[in-house]
Amino acid sequence: MPTSRSLAPALPRNFLRPCILLLLREHPAHGYELLERVRPFGFDGSDPGALYRALRALERDSLVRSAWEKSSSGPDRRIYQITRKGAEELHRQARALARVGGTLGVFLSRYEEFVALPRADARGPQDLSVLRTR
Amino acid sequence: MGELDALRIRDEVLQAMYWMRSEGLADAPAVSELARFLALSATALAPYLERLAGENLLEHTGDGFALTPAGEKLGKRTFAEEFADLTRPAHGECDEDCLCHSSPEEAARCLEERTGHAY
Repeated sequence: MPTSRSLAPALPRNFLRPCILLLLREHPAHGYELLERVRPFGFDGSDPGALYRALRALERDSLVRSAWEKSSSGPDRRIYQITRKGAEELHRQARALARVGGTLGVFLSRYEEFVALPRADARGPQDLSVLRTR
Repeated sequence: MGELDALRIRDEVLQAMYWMRSEGLADAPAVSELARFLALSATALAPYLERLAGENLLEHTGDGFALTPAGEKLGKRTFAEEFADLTRPAHGECDEDCLCHSSPEEAARCLEERTGHAY
């Protein structure tokens, strides 16, 4: 039987998409930087392919666009930014998450009348430098 | 191996490998690593990689494959072309939810974004 330590946080389906949109609304970013910045949302960074595929899907849906940026230390890199349509989609998804959050809050506050739950640990970005080849 | 599938997978592989390399994630990924990255079966992907090596777009390096200069050039070019027509809607294509309806400043920004020109 799995222990609580082995269980991954149960994230909403396709939660990576609004997370990417939020991060790009904060500022444009390269793929590797996004890989680091999604960690506080429960993604451990061990699957860069998931990020890559999500970025491709977002770009295909015109929610994100990318352009080449010159690099002084290697090949040119794609830099991603949110589009206006992406900002609108982010707002729609944030409103949906707020409704879910409200419902969860009601559930948790009623459950905590019986049992106190530990607060979620606030994990900060962790060092992903081991993944890099240069 | 259909020719259309081969072309589609060629572009997917070269673009993904270029991205992995440019982000510093892998210069010469193993077949299994690349398959996981693209969410494909390694068994299905392997013959396509061999074919790309035969076309001088990839080269064998130890356990994996690396882009040749020709593969790198093609991967970079097709990456940029992939969404070129999608990410810049024409002027007037915004919808009713567009923020441009909220203020004259947002309207100007919308026009700038959709036309590629500052007004």
